[in-house]
Amino acid sequence: MSAHSSRSAGAGRRAAIAVVLVVLLSPFLWLLQMSFKSNDLILQFPPPLIFTPTLENYTSLWHGAFSASFINSLLSASFSTGFALLFGIPAAYALSRWTGSGRQALGFAILVTRMAPPIAFTIPFFLFYRWIGLLDTITGLVLVYTSFNLPLVIWMMQPFFETVPRSLEEAALVDGAGIRTVFVEIVLPMVTPGIAATAILCFLYAWNDFFFALILTRTNARTAPVAVVNFMNYEGWEWGKIAAGGSLVMAPVLIFSLAVRRYLVSGLTAGAVKG
Amino acid sequence: MTATNLIDAERRSFNRWALAPSLVILFVIAALPALYLLAASLTPFQLVNPGSSTDFSEPLRNYRLLPGDPRFINSLIVQAKLSFWGVLFQVLLGMLLALLLHTRSRFVALARTFFLIPMVLPPIVVGVIWKLIYTPDISPIYYVAGLLHVTMPSLTSSVNFALTAIIIADTWEWLPFTFLMVLAALQTIPEEYSEAALMDGAGRVQIFFHITLPFIAPILTVSAMFRLIDSVKAFPLIFLLTGGGPGSVTEVTNYYAYLLAFDFNEIGYSSAITIVMLMLVVVMSLGIMWMGRNREALT
Amino acid sequence: MSRIKSVRSVSAVSRRKLLLTGAATAATAALPFPMPAIAQARPFAGVTLHGASFQHRFFTILQNYIPEFEQQTGMKVDLQLSAFPVYNQQANLELSSGGSAYDFVNVTFILAARWVAAGLLANLDEFTSDPNLTPADWKPDDFVEGAQVPYRNAKGNTFGYSWEGGAMVMGLSRMDLMEKKGLQIPKTFAELQQVCAEINGTDNVNGIVSFQLHHWCLPPYIQGFGGNIFRNPPADIMPTLNSAEAIQAVDYYANLLKNYAPRGVITYTEDQARQAFLSGRSNIFIHSSAWVTPALLSEESKVKQTSRVVRMPAGPVHDFPASNSQGLGIPKNAKNKKAAWEFIKWALSPEMSMRIVREHGHSSVCRRSVIQSEAYRKLNTVNGQDLGALYLEVLELPAKGENYMAYRTVKEFPILGDVINKAVEQVVSGQLSGRDAMNAAQEQAVANLRRAGSAL
Repeated sequence: MSAHSSRSAGAGRRAAIAVVLVVLLSPFLWLLQMSFKSNDLILQFPPPLIFTPTLENYTSLWHGAFSASFINSLLSASFSTGFALLFGIPAAYALSRWTGSGRQALGFAILVTRMAPPIAFTIPFFLFYRWIGLLDTITGLVLVYTSFNLPLVIWMMQPFFETVPRSLEEAALVDGAGIRTVFVEIVLPMVTPGIAATAILCFLYAWNDFFFALILTRTNARTAPVAVVNFMNYEGWEWGKIAAGGSLVMAPVLIFSLAVRRYLVSGLTAGAVKG
Repeated sequence: MTATNLIDAERRSFNRWALAPSLVILFVIAALPALYLLAASLTPFQLVNPGSSTDFSEPLRNYRLLPGDPRFINSLIVQAKLSFWGVLFQVLLGMLLALLLHTRSRFVALARTFFLIPMVLPPIVVGVIWKLIYTPDISPIYYVAGLLHVTMPSLTSSVNFALTAIIIADTWEWLPFTFLMVLAALQTIPEEYSEAALMDGAGRVQIFFHITLPFIAPILTVSAMFRLIDSVKAFPLIFLLTGGGPGSVTEVTNYYAYLLAFDFNEIGYSSAITIVMLMLVVVMSLGIMWMGRNREALT
Repeated sequence: MSRIKSVRSVSAVSRRKLLLTGAATAATAALPFPMPAIAQARPFAGVTLHGASFQHRFFTILQNYIPEFEQQTGMKVDLQLSAFPVYNQQANLELSSGGSAYDFVNVTFILAARWVAAGLLANLDEFTSDPNLTPADWKPDDFVEGAQVPYRNAKGNTFGYSWEGGAMVMGLSRMDLMEKKGLQIPKTFAELQQVCAEINGTDNVNGIVSFQLHHWCLPPYIQGFGGNIFRNPPADIMPTLNSAEAIQAVDYYANLLKNYAPRGVITYTEDQARQAFLSGRSNIFIHSSAWVTPALLSEESKVKQTSRVVRMPAGPVHDFPASNSQGLGIPKNAKNKKAAWEFIKWALSPEMSMRIVREHGHSSVCRRSVIQSEAYRKLNTVNGQDLGALYLEVLELPAKGENYMAYRTVKEFPILGDVINKAVEQVVSGQLSGRDAMNAAQEQAVANLRRAGSAL
């Protein structure tokens, strides 16, 4: 262990990193390889590491009800991301330019909504949705996910807006441009990386959600994470399919989040700490 | 002057329009449910007794029953154990991992990306992964144990090991978080310090304890705080791996409240427990905000 | 009797046919006409019937025939199946909050008493007593008494009809090993323990296998030793979980699971247990006949030649094998009650039950006439074992003398079920002794009952 960051990695260190990586990722890799095995192979010990992979787990899942849940996840995650960005980005901008009091209180409220256990919200949401008939609907899910991604958007976009120099805006405003034009044509283009990262983080959170989907949906709006669990308890423990289901559910988020790894910490700490 | 006044007024109006929808939404999702929970916690509301939702005759009944409910007390203890050990290992191992990867190299930069995988997976998939590992029939670990003639009990149905099994899975999942945070902090340490110390003949361990550690201590604390708060939300792992069992050995407060609300439909009592959890989260969040304000190393 | 009825309905049908062929679909959908035995032009056209249950072979089989039903009635059937715990939780939530998302639901035995007592289901007597809605040859009394008890309220009204009977029997998959060791089929608890001890470890076979629903598996032992779950159900619902007999039962059962069962057995689902049994890796499996008889009847069984299915052993004081049933019911606020009744009537008719037995070998239906028929007997007698008679015998036992399954009809039973589950887990995993676990269970049960509003 050392703080010698300027020294480039020696072969020994690189080897150590590789080993640690494989060991750490082995549970994940185990799931992946199991999804390509037929059930007989899975129960076989010693586990054959060289085998003919099969796609039958994936295809049978896809032809079952799983594809519908995948689409539900896609719809609810995408729409909620869109709405959260729609409302959150202007709000973040307004907050970043606000000098008034109450900003701390708002920041605190945002932090609490991100940190509170979901059950605090599911009971009221469940009863309310039952009352107005939004249970087991995509709309219901979109509403919930939008509500919880909104604080994330505000919190993440604020620092980005703060990097936009006010002098630029002032100059344009003094020149007679309306503030809306300034916002859309000057400020927004400068924070597009932030928007992209925030969008993906919102999508990630909505996609990964399990608790809300478990309580607020039944079969019509069932999302992929819940479908995997539901599938696990069917008669017949088909491990191959379970592994394939898990792999399918994690595929989109893996791809997206590795694309925005720079902003992951910021997003996960509600931006209280810069990544 | 009139021009700037106009601009200010325009800005204020824009701000109001920009903020209004978000404020409304935030109020609705943050404040209203909290108020509803508070109200529900003052009633003996059960779904099967419709009249009980407005029965405020004995408002503090649920709160009075809490200290005498051994399952609730147990859930707090389980939560404390899970949080303590989980956070400890996540911070420790995350730090070690960051120290290992704190070098300049394209290979390492690439590897860094893959280390993030456990953290971005859907939590329920993490549960599936570890369920596979903990199921004796198909787990390589049990196979190896068998080869070594070691009889390993089924971890998730063993009183002594069930919570440990959860802690291991939880640590695996969130290690990347502290890893990222500490790595970022390590990269802010001015290199001249350690170089100077090296030239003065200091050993690596000394450098770590006297230079590195003080620098990253604030980040370690903040990471610990965040993980602590997040650990209260523990659900998917417990739901999939143990269902709170065996017995109530892995039943954390969040899970107990879930069972009460959605299996037994005791909404009133469950709300009281949830309010207690919320108080905890509020206190811890205040702690984070205070630390955020006082620590320059974070901005 | 039925012939006269049909004559009357023939003229009614011709009249109706004239009306219907001329009327628009919407109009016909509004007519709540029953479906007599003679084919009629789709009386429920345009209606979508929503139903839900947990995934079970019965529904998988039924789904093969639903298109016929849809053809005859014109309604579309949307049957949603979920995993057992997920379904129970969601259906319970839905019904408890007075929902109308479902027109018919499976009434799981765990929740039957709660739903009936809380008035969450529609009274089906209104349908069965109306000759226009239910022809007499549907015979509501044909259902085995023991299977119907959970669906009746105190006044004797019926709120569900059973589609599955669970008669607890004992299966032995490795008679070959037993014969090799000179062991007889155990008839008492003491003999059961002996046999388990002797077989366990031989040939890598476990003595016994069980699964995680301890509140189903344990009571027969409690009652076998002379105890009970409540003091005098259904009237006196004071729990008696820490009686000497109950403690003895837990110690006995936990001992079997600790020493003679596969690793991790307390987390086993029914299906995992069944697999262990059918593959011959565990010798004894005590559960509903539908889970045990596959050893003799199913394709996947590897132990067809070496299996026996018999009565479970008797305790020193009582011989009370558990029985339960799953039923179909109509939620109180369902939107299409008459259509739902059509479906239930069809799915549980004597004809459909017989077809399911004949064409799919699924025998845990609940109509006595079917169970006692020749065809049933032929299909379900294997290697000289009359499984149908055994099934019927156990299912009817609670109705014959003392209704020892009365504890199942107490609406607060789920609360005790949960407490019993935890207690057994604690004892098998070695966390607590039987005495300590049951004392704690008793305290928890009483506290939970009081908190839920029961006057104890």
